[in-house]
Amino acid sequence: MISWPNFRRAVPALAVLAAVVAARAEDTFYAQRVAPILEQKCVACHGEKKQKGKLRLDSFAHLMRGGEGGGVVQSGDAKDSELFIRVTLHPADEDFMPADSKPPLTPDEVKVLELWIAAGASATAPLSSIKGAPALAAPKAPVAALAPDWQPRSAQIARLEEELGVRLVARSHLPTDGLVLRTAGAPTRCDDAALAKLAPVADLIVEAELARTKITDAGLVWLATFSNLRALDLTRTRVTSAGLGSLASLGKLESLNLTSTGVDDAGVARLKDLPALRKTWVFDTRVTGVTADPAASAK
Amino acid sequence: MWDLPHVPLGLKREWLGLETRRHFLGQGVKALGWAGLATLLGRSAPNLLANSPIPGAPAMVPHFAPKAKRAIYLFMAGSPSQFETWDHKPALADLFDQDLPESVRGGQTLTGMTASQTRFPIAPSLYKFARHGKAGRFVSELFPYTARVSDELCVIKSLHTDAINHEPAILQLTTGNMFPGRPSIGSWLSYGLGAMNEELPTFVVMTSKMPHRTNVQALSNRLWSSGFLSPEHAAVALRSGSDPVLYLNNPKGVESDVRRAMIDGVNDLNRQLFERVGDPEINARISQYEMAFRMQTSVPELADFSNEPQSTWDLYGPRAKEPGTFAYNCLMARRLAERGVRFTQIFLRSWDQHSRLPTNIKLMAEDSDQPTYALVTDLKRRGLLDDTVVIWGGEFGRTVYSQGTLTPENYGRDHHPRCFSMWMAGGGVKPGISYGETDDFSYNIVKDPMHIRDLHATILHLFGLDHSKLSFKFQGLDQKLTGVLPSKVVHDLLA
Repeated sequence: MISWPNFRRAVPALAVLAAVVAARAEDTFYAQRVAPILEQKCVACHGEKKQKGKLRLDSFAHLMRGGEGGGVVQSGDAKDSELFIRVTLHPADEDFMPADSKPPLTPDEVKVLELWIAAGASATAPLSSIKGAPALAAPKAPVAALAPDWQPRSAQIARLEEELGVRLVARSHLPTDGLVLRTAGAPTRCDDAALAKLAPVADLIVEAELARTKITDAGLVWLATFSNLRALDLTRTRVTSAGLGSLASLGKLESLNLTSTGVDDAGVARLKDLPALRKTWVFDTRVTGVTADPAASAK
Repeated sequence: MWDLPHVPLGLKREWLGLETRRHFLGQGVKALGWAGLATLLGRSAPNLLANSPIPGAPAMVPHFAPKAKRAIYLFMAGSPSQFETWDHKPALADLFDQDLPESVRGGQTLTGMTASQTRFPIAPSLYKFARHGKAGRFVSELFPYTARVSDELCVIKSLHTDAINHEPAILQLTTGNMFPGRPSIGSWLSYGLGAMNEELPTFVVMTSKMPHRTNVQALSNRLWSSGFLSPEHAAVALRSGSDPVLYLNNPKGVESDVRRAMIDGVNDLNRQLFERVGDPEINARISQYEMAFRMQTSVPELADFSNEPQSTWDLYGPRAKEPGTFAYNCLMARRLAERGVRFTQIFLRSWDQHSRLPTNIKLMAEDSDQPTYALVTDLKRRGLLDDTVVIWGGEFGRTVYSQGTLTPENYGRDHHPRCFSMWMAGGGVKPGISYGETDDFSYNIVKDPMHIRDLHATILHLFGLDHSKLSFKFQGLDQKLTGVLPSKVVHDLLA
C-alpha cells in the first residue's frame, strides 16, 4: 500500500512512464489524427508519386522538410504556418489548397491541424495530450455499386448506340452508378429487336426510359436480362398485362411506369411479388380503383 | 504580343492560352472533330466522356446521380405578395393601419415609389388562410386548387435577393447576376448535362397571356440567353399560336429533301471554315441548323394537342385550349417534360401590385391557380413528378406596409428584397414542408435565410451537379451560376 507522501513522489514518474508508452507511433496525435487528413486530402499531389511545389506530406519527416518555398509548419503558430494558411484561404483564392476543386478540408480537419501545430507540431505527442480536438467522423460506408463498371465495355456501348439509335448515358461520374437507356430522341427506333440486341450490356442498365417506344409484350422477355434495373418507364407503349410476367425476375426494380398502356388489374396482380417495387403508375389504363385526379375526390 | 504596352500580364497569358487552344483544335480536328461535334449536338455517350478532348468542354454527365431530370419553372414575374400567398401572418390583422416600427425597417433604403411616404401603415392580407392537406399547411383562399396539392409542396419563406427593382432582380433569379450577359439556369443545365431529346431544344421558354395588364414589366431574351456559353444553350422561346417556332416551315415549293441538301451544303462549308480557324461558334451554328431541321418534325407533333384525352381538359380547365394562356403553357410544359426537355420556364406577368392589390392579385390567382395545380397533379399521376422539379415564384417580395392609401378593402405593396416566398415540388425536393421563417411583419428573416445563390446551388444539386464545379472560363474567371460569393446547397429541402 502506498502512503500519501510516497504517492505524491511517484506521480512524476508515472507521467514519464505514460509519455514513453504513448510515444509508440500508432498512439501519437500525429499518426492518429494528422496523418490521415494529409493522406486523404493532400498526398495525391504531395506524395511519393507527385511532389507539387517540391512538397511531400506523406511522412512527418517530409512534412517538416517543407517544399520549394521553405518550411510549411511553424511549430506553435498555426497562423504563421503555410500548411494551415493554404487550407483556410477563401476557396476561390488561387493559392487555396487542395487545388483544382478537390474536396477541401472540413472545419473539423482544419481544427485538428490548428491544434496540433499550436501544441508544437510534435511527431511524438500522445493522442491524449492535445485536448479539444473534434471527434473523428464516422467512416463513410462505401457507396454500393448499382451495376458493374461500364468503362471496360465503352467501345461496345458506343457500337450499340450507333447501331440501335438509342443512347446509353452514364448516370453519374461514378462508373458503378450504371447507365440510363434513353430513347426520347427517337422512341420509334427502339423496338423489341433493339432490346434483344442490348443483352451484352443489359447488366449495366439501371434505368430504362422506354416511353413511347415500340416495345411490346414480346420485348419484355428481354428485360429479364436487365438484372440491375431500378426504374422502368413503359408509358404509352403497347405493353399489356400478359407481358408483365416477364418482369418477375427483376428483383431490384423499384419503380415502374405503366401510364397509358394496355395493362389491367390482372397485370398489377402479377407485380405483387417483385420484392423491391415501391412505386407503380397506372394512370390512363384499365386498372380500377385509381384515384388519378385528387381534385375529383376533393370536389 | 508581349511588347504591347498597357496590357496586363494576366490578359496576355489568357491570349496565349486561347491561341494555343485554337492551334490545338485546328490541328487536331480530324481526330477530334467527331467527338467535339457530337458533344455540341447534345450527344453524351459515355465513351465520349471518358477523355473529353476539348479543354473546358462540359462533362455532360452529372457529378453524382441526380434526383431531377427536368425542371418546370413557373416564373411569377412582377412578384406576388408573400402576405396574400404563402407567408401567413394572422397577427397583422390586429395591427391594421398602425405604423410599421422604425426598428423593423432598420433604416432600409426604400424605392422612389414609397420613400417619400409620410406613413408606413401596416396592411394585413385581405385574404384568409385555412389549413390544408395532411401537413396542415396554411394556404391562402386565393389558391383553392393549389391547396389540394399542398402536401406536394416545399414552401420556402426565407428567400432574399440583392435587388429592389424588377430588371436586376429578375436577372438575378434567372441568371444569378444582376447584370445582363450571363447564362440562365436552363443554359447552365444544357451546358452541363446536354440534351435528353436531340429533336427538341433542351431549354424552352414560354410567356403567357395576362388576365389583366397593370404595371407590366418587360421580359427580354436576356433572361433566357446563353450569355458567354455557346449559343445553342440559349432557350428556344415558343410563341403562342399555331406556329410556335417562326420560320420553321419550308417555303412553298421547297421539299424536305431539298432543304436537307441545302443544310448539308451549308454545314460542309461551315466545317471547312472550322477546320481552318477552329472557332467553336461555327460548331454552334452547325448545331443550330440541325436543330431547326429536326424541329420541323418534332414541333408540330408537340403542339398538336388533339390526342389529349378529356381528362386533360377536365384537369387544366377550358382555357388550356387557348394558345398562349398560362393554362395552355402548363399543359405544353407537361408535354415537353414527357418528351425529355430539360428545362421549361413559363413566365406569367402582372403580379406587380403597387396599388389595387386585392383586386388584381385575385385576377392573377384565378388565372393561374387551376393550371398550376393541374400541372403538379398531372405530373404526379403520370409518374413524372418524381424526377421533375416544379418551381413557383417571383423575383422578390413585397412590403408589409401599404403603398398609397390604405383602406380595409384596398391597398398596394412596394418591392421588398429582404424576404419572399417560393415553392418547389417534386424532383427530389422534400414534400409537405416549409423552410425558413420571417418576423411578424414578414420584413426580416429570423430563421434559415436562403439567398438566390443557395436556391441555384440547390436546383443544380437536384440535377446531380455541384455548383462549385459547373463552370466556364470567361474573362479570366471560372464563371459559375452561383458566382464567387459563398453559396450553399440547402440540404433540409432535399427528400
